[in-house]
Amino acid sequence: MKRLALLSPRQRQALFAALLMVLLLLPFLGIGQANIDVAANSCAYAALALGLNIVVGFTGLLDLGYAAFFAIGAYAYGILNSFQLHPHWSAAWAPLAAIGFVAKLGAGAAATVHFTFPFWLMLPASAVIAACFGMAFGAPTLRLKGDYLAIVTLGFGEIVPIVARNWSSLTNGAEGLNGVGPPVLLGYRFGINATPYYYVGLGLVLLLLFISLRLKPSRIGRAWMAVREDEIAAGAMGVHTTRLKLLAFAMGAGFAGMTGTFYIAKLQTATPDMFDLPVSIMVLVMIVLGGLASVWGAILGAVLLELLQAWFLPALSGWVQGLGNAIHSPFLQNLQLTSASELIFGIILVTMMLYRRDGLVPVGRNEVRLSYEQQDAAVSRGAAPAVARLRAGLAEAATDARPAVLEIRDLTVKFGGLTALKSISLDVPAGSIVAVIGPNGSGKSTLFNSITGLVKPSAGVVRFAGRDLLGLRPDQVLRAGVARTFQNIRLFPNLTVMENVLIGQHSHLSAGAAGAVLGLPRVRAEEREARQFVLELLAMFGNRLVPRIDQGVAQLSYANRRRVEIARALASRPRLLMLDEPTAGMNPAESLELAEQIAAFRDFGLTILLVEHKLDVVTRLADNVIVLDHGEKLAEGRAEEVRRNEAVIEAYIGRGAVDA
Amino acid sequence: MTGTAVFFQQLVNGLSLGAMYSLLALGFTLVYGILELINFAHFNVFMVGAFVGLIVLQWFGLQGQSVVLHGAPLVLSLLAALAVTMVASGVLGVVIERYTLRPMRNVRGPMAMITTIGVSYILFNLVLLLTNAQALNYPDPMPSIDYHLGGVTIRLKAVIIWIVAAVLMWGLNLFVRRSRLGKAMRAVAQDAEAARMMGVEVDQVVMIAFFAGSALAGAAGMIFGLYYNFTQYSIGYTAGLRAFTAAVLGGIGNVPGAMVGGLLIGLIETISSQYIATKWADVIIFSILILTLVFRPAGLLGAQSPNRS
Amino acid sequence: MALSRRNALRGAAGTVLLASASPIARAGDKVYHIGITLPLTGADAEAAHLILHGAQLAIKLANQSGELGDIRLEPMVLNNATATAGQYDPAQAATNARKLAGTHTVLANVGPEMSGSGKAMAPILSMANLATITPSSTAPDITSPTYAGEFDPGGKPIYFRTVTTDAYQGPNMANFYAEVLKAKSVYILDDSGAYGVGLANAFEAQAKKKGIKVLGRDRLDPKAADYSAVLTKIAATKTASLYYGGTMQAGVKLVKQSYQIIPHVIKGGGDGILSPEMMTAAGFPAAEGWYGTNASPHVVDDPKLANWVALYTKTYGVAPDDYAITGYDAALVAIAGIKTGQKAGKPLTAANVRDAIATVHVNGLQGPISFDKYGDMTSHVVAVFQFHHDKSAPLGDLNKQMRYVGVAPQN
Repeated sequence: MKRLALLSPRQRQALFAALLMVLLLLPFLGIGQANIDVAANSCAYAALALGLNIVVGFTGLLDLGYAAFFAIGAYAYGILNSFQLHPHWSAAWAPLAAIGFVAKLGAGAAATVHFTFPFWLMLPASAVIAACFGMAFGAPTLRLKGDYLAIVTLGFGEIVPIVARNWSSLTNGAEGLNGVGPPVLLGYRFGINATPYYYVGLGLVLLLLFISLRLKPSRIGRAWMAVREDEIAAGAMGVHTTRLKLLAFAMGAGFAGMTGTFYIAKLQTATPDMFDLPVSIMVLVMIVLGGLASVWGAILGAVLLELLQAWFLPALSGWVQGLGNAIHSPFLQNLQLTSASELIFGIILVTMMLYRRDGLVPVGRNEVRLSYEQQDAAVSRGAAPAVARLRAGLAEAATDARPAVLEIRDLTVKFGGLTALKSISLDVPAGSIVAVIGPNGSGKSTLFNSITGLVKPSAGVVRFAGRDLLGLRPDQVLRAGVARTFQNIRLFPNLTVMENVLIGQHSHLSAGAAGAVLGLPRVRAEEREARQFVLELLAMFGNRLVPRIDQGVAQLSYANRRRVEIARALASRPRLLMLDEPTAGMNPAESLELAEQIAAFRDFGLTILLVEHKLDVVTRLADNVIVLDHGEKLAEGRAEEVRRNEAVIEAYIGRGAVDA
Repeated sequence: MTGTAVFFQQLVNGLSLGAMYSLLALGFTLVYGILELINFAHFNVFMVGAFVGLIVLQWFGLQGQSVVLHGAPLVLSLLAALAVTMVASGVLGVVIERYTLRPMRNVRGPMAMITTIGVSYILFNLVLLLTNAQALNYPDPMPSIDYHLGGVTIRLKAVIIWIVAAVLMWGLNLFVRRSRLGKAMRAVAQDAEAARMMGVEVDQVVMIAFFAGSALAGAAGMIFGLYYNFTQYSIGYTAGLRAFTAAVLGGIGNVPGAMVGGLLIGLIETISSQYIATKWADVIIFSILILTLVFRPAGLLGAQSPNRS
Repeated sequence: MALSRRNALRGAAGTVLLASASPIARAGDKVYHIGITLPLTGADAEAAHLILHGAQLAIKLANQSGELGDIRLEPMVLNNATATAGQYDPAQAATNARKLAGTHTVLANVGPEMSGSGKAMAPILSMANLATITPSSTAPDITSPTYAGEFDPGGKPIYFRTVTTDAYQGPNMANFYAEVLKAKSVYILDDSGAYGVGLANAFEAQAKKKGIKVLGRDRLDPKAADYSAVLTKIAATKTASLYYGGTMQAGVKLVKQSYQIIPHVIKGGGDGILSPEMMTAAGFPAAEGWYGTNASPHVVDDPKLANWVALYTKTYGVAPDDYAITGYDAALVAIAGIKTGQKAGKPLTAANVRDAIATVHVNGLQGPISFDKYGDMTSHVVAVFQFHHDKSAPLGDLNKQMRYVGVAPQN
């Protein structure tokens, strides 16, 4: 399977075309109505898997109530195209009757309304309805930590079938909807023939496949994956995490809703127990088997499980029973392997998680690789293009905002009974480098976290360029022009260097889900531009990162990961750059090189707040040094002054925590 | 029965139910407190515990429902069966942790949770296949004595459940608060990294948490069997989900919270069945789960917040 | 019939899916098929196999009788259950219906067991003009003229039954409660499944007509364990009787707990509780005194059928129940339709066989069988049983652990 990723784009296209050809001709291969029907059901499951893949695979949200949205889509169509509701006829229904959405049954006072909303309208409408339910349900719960979502969705997955069971007047309860109408296309009423349903199912899968493939490498898809990889870092890089999670949740629900409509139009009846937990789990098994976040994997997983259940296990049971008949073993004669398929599901989940977490079709790297010439050219151009762009950004910001001054006044942070920061005040003048030093646990990272919205201070003021930052979400802080790195490096480990730095540009790009799916020229141009900027940013570090642009960041050296994180922060075109121990883990030569680069950032106009342990780096860079100890400001001044300060020496030597 | 008597009868019903939820909720809370992991396997460790208890009681010659014991033989055989069941379930929990969850400990995202779902599914389907999906009769060695208090009937069985559950919970609370391991457990729950630096064996603590949680689930399973007089492969799901709700309601990671939460959920279930309708009980309980998470994520007694990072 | 989620998961001896169990056809014989679609795995497997063997036996005997001339009939057995559903799965039933409709040698079908499957199969079979005879699906909707447009788009009835419907099973039991048991009041429970809800609804409507005071109606969650809350509520109403529409998944717990909380109330249910689990899992004394019904006459103990019962037991290694008999009768109806068509000299097609079945009169094991214009049986016999512990017989022997009370009053 891994080899698929090695095929050239053209080869892959050819393979896909051949596969599509076979699928289109499938009903004419003499496989019989029943098998075409199985194929149509497989399409429904593949469509469900694609939707859940967006939620679980792309965004990392474990949704165990996914079948609820399947049910909502199913009942939406089922109720609006059946005899279930039959209000009395009145003239008010006439306009709907004229466009074929309802029909009049009977005559006179006894006349009732028969709902006949067309399938083709309900297909997108169900997607919207299910997505609305997804949002209504997700909005209050999605800000919770991910694992809580699992249990809440489990509860939701229980509630929807219960409501369907108990609200008999709307759903006919447990006895199931009667008389769901089939689709009608250009006057042709889909009857019992499975073939037209198969084509509709195939079309649905192709549509959802197309949407998934377009979204995945887009701004939206990257932001989803950023949320999955590291929600805090995603927020700090300008991703409105709650909104993105909600979007994923709604989109997954929409896919399921559409599929529900298709499934019910084909089956023409719906009962609540068709949407219980085992359905949600089975779809989860499909995407785990295929590979979380792998679009093709989701489809492969769905097809494999359907084959397992519809063909392999029954056939195997038949052979085993035949063997049992031959050797007169009552045990073998009675063995029904189909009963074990849920046991197999469980085994698949555990085995895949323990031994092959990437699934059968690991996520391929779809990036277009750089040729050596391109790499060479990028490296030889050096930092100039990136600097030019960053400068342009700064100039633009400077025209309509106040100078990039960070002012902190009386900032106090408390954790329970512990005071992590006590009434800290400091200034970072525009275009300067201010370093914060102090022993471990002195409150440096807490200071960073409270500026960037990760920690809620109990008192104080944080103002940047005249704007109050306290109370803003991390992504809003980033939009205000403040970007940061983390002490223990928070890159998105399963994404490439390119993708990581692209996510840094999230707030500067505008492509939405629709634009990405439609592939609008504007969106494509923006994407090209964004990738060019990544190349330029990476070229600032010479040839250290450019050749590794398509590698996963987890494979990079420690120092290179630091550099990627800085590039990612710069990609947001900040006015204030906050670096948390940027040279930690680097050797002296590398530290020196980075220090020079940081100085260069200041020289072209960035304001920089730095937490650093290495005093030589601090001395070389900082215009002003602030010393924290036990959450209090111990000293402030130029590096040489601070180094001579008695209290500082006491604090450092006393605890023996000096690195340099 | 008068209206008040019915109300008090439902309180009594709710307390028995709640005691079982509490025992089960403790397992969720212990593991969550330490690993921040929702352990779906716990649902079915409870179910397996009920079957282990059945097998042990049958060993003791308590076949069918006709054997009724009194006095010391009753107390001794029940205590012995309870002990064996708890140890066996505890070991099952430790095995699950060691072989399926430890390798996942530092993996980000929902991976570990998906693994516990898989384990849960395996246990569920194994028992389903092994028992032919049959509900099995449970021994009923306790004499059926009813106490009548002003129209309210309290069965001896219920009283025994309350006592056993109270003793187990008190023991656990004591263990967590007083013992060296219990203190280590709390230290890991607060800050695993710091605890490790202070020399706490995190692996050992996690193992103990799984053992204790699973042993309590096993005890709950056996109590379930004795109380309802049957067991089946499917008993873990509904009970587990409600117990988890109880853990969240009380404040997940919080041992007294799980006990209070369990009792509350038991009471809510019976009272809503009486005054609303049984068919909406699940909807009511899950609504409570969602409302708690949205408006009071730390739970009634909890100090930890689920949306901390 | 039972609609619970896998409360049983048994494969009876020698199940062979698809028609592979045929003896070698004689040279020159034309082979035709009778479909048999039942949920052979999952919750309903055991009951399904009893029906399966009934139908298989009828086909086997017809082939041996020599009355079929130069044709041979073979069963085409299709499983209506999937593991995902854990029981019958309407989607799988629809797939199977398409398979039957697409196979030209299939002349008629026996099945399905469950009305949920029937709803998915009926429109497909109707368009194909292929008759199906169900031995146990009792939901009235499928043959009701109200829904003819949906379940019978082909316009001719294709859904025939050798059992009566819940439109009689529930109401006749309500008559029994009122006239025989003289119950003045009743509390009604269902298990939230399609079968249980429908049955309880039908019972409730007739009970009201008969002047029984309905003190309440509630729904059990079959996955929950504790019904003491609802039973306490019922006890407080001081009801004279309880009616339960549902199967044994909730039934086991209901029977046990109601014995403790409402021991002296008259209790009864439909065919869902006529299951060995009533004794093996719920057990005596809790099960003692419960009433249950079958939607067909009780004939399995009839001395006239002793030979047939012996033959069945010998051939398949299990004793038949009343639904094995309706299964046998269903296959008899199909065979009779084929023979009538043959005699009339018409080509052997599913459509012609359907036409013949609509007007056929068959002497089944349960008595004379004929159909009204919708496909329902003209006879509406509902048999009533009561559980009574027979310590000398095995606990799981359903026929021994309950007594036949009689036919429920029809009116």
